[in-house]
Amino acid sequence: MVQYSYFPGCNLKTNAKGFEETAIAVSKKLNSELVEIPNWNCCGTVHTMTTDNLMKRIAPVRVLARSKNHLEDLKDTSNHVVTLCSMCNSTLKIVNEEVKENPDDLETINFQLEEDNETYSIDMEVKHFLEVLRDSIGFEQIRSNVVKPLEGLKVSPYYGCMLLHPEKAKIDDIEMPTVLEDLMESLGAEAIFSPLFKYCCGSYHIVDQEDIVAGQVEKIVEAARVRGANALAVACPLCAYNIDQQQKVIDEKTGRKDSLPVFYFSQLMALAFGESLEINHFEDHEIDPRILLEELKLL
Amino acid sequence: MSYEYIKFGQEEKDFIEKIQEISGQNIYSCYQCGKCSAGCAFSNKMDKTVNQLIHFIQMGQKEKVLKANTHWICASCLTCTIRCPREIDVAALMEAVREYILREEPEKMKIADIPKDVLNKLPNIALVGSFRKKTG
Repeated sequence: MVQYSYFPGCNLKTNAKGFEETAIAVSKKLNSELVEIPNWNCCGTVHTMTTDNLMKRIAPVRVLARSKNHLEDLKDTSNHVVTLCSMCNSTLKIVNEEVKENPDDLETINFQLEEDNETYSIDMEVKHFLEVLRDSIGFEQIRSNVVKPLEGLKVSPYYGCMLLHPEKAKIDDIEMPTVLEDLMESLGAEAIFSPLFKYCCGSYHIVDQEDIVAGQVEKIVEAARVRGANALAVACPLCAYNIDQQQKVIDEKTGRKDSLPVFYFSQLMALAFGESLEINHFEDHEIDPRILLEELKLL
Repeated sequence: MSYEYIKFGQEEKDFIEKIQEISGQNIYSCYQCGKCSAGCAFSNKMDKTVNQLIHFIQMGQKEKVLKANTHWICASCLTCTIRCPREIDVAALMEAVREYILREEPEKMKIADIPKDVLNKLPNIALVGSFRKKTG
């Protein structure tokens, strides 16, 4: 069994428990276990784009340093720190590249970290779990673990911004990604292309400018629906929350009843692999995916 | 056709210099092709489009820049950054304008005003992201 140093990030412990539990379950089945870093901290969520603020870069560098120390406890491991949340993925990857380019900045950051007897020496590589699935495990092995093909599920992959932007953090081709499509097809589902696959959902504006998010979600969902999708697959807990919750708000306002359930890609893997239903935490979803799954006889 | 005369003195130059310093971008690289605004998912919500805001920065028009809502509507999805033919980190310019304001007035958003049930319901990444973008 290969073991990976795994950085959950805060949301996987609160709103997105189904994402984490299903990902860990399927990782074990694929002999590539995700093992949580014991003392991780928040990565800062959004990466600062200022040139002069090192303070906001300390948290993600500390994560990388702790992940490096964590490798000593793991078996058959590589220098990868694996993330599930696409915002963590983006923040950690960007900062890792930045400190490579600016060794002076790293020295200043390390000066702070040394207070806790930690240092970072640019020796980790940040990988999103989707990259591990594609590059290290391979879709063939995923396909061979499927016991319940997701027949009838027409799922539109929604990448969101942070899996593909910026150049430093992309996990696939920026304008024409295929990793989620390939994964969905290896699970027996039909992948439906939507041109709004990375059209921003409004992100953190949900806190104080909900109308912006509502407008974005309406367009994203409609683009998938008119192309025949009956579900969406995502990799970001914020995209998932925004799309799921805003559809509920739109439904209540307009009385529509054709909302699309939002799945994390790992939930669909767990379903296809025949894992227990509880780990999906479908009770946390506003648009209950179990209704669709029952219709398609996938439960 | 009417013309507007603008002042271009030391104050204007200082503003341009500061935005370039915070963002690390050369504002004059922009040749106003408009691709950033064309691809922006939020252009319809902005009172000035992204390239208009950049033009104001190029001209040092601080008041017009600070009055626009463009940089507060920007959600840092970075679509403009990856598509800019001049390889300008456009989103970093938006961030620089936000930072310029927040370094003087650090509370664009008052955290204490957010109702408790909203705070309890929202995902951590929404809260942390928004606090980092809208408070100094």
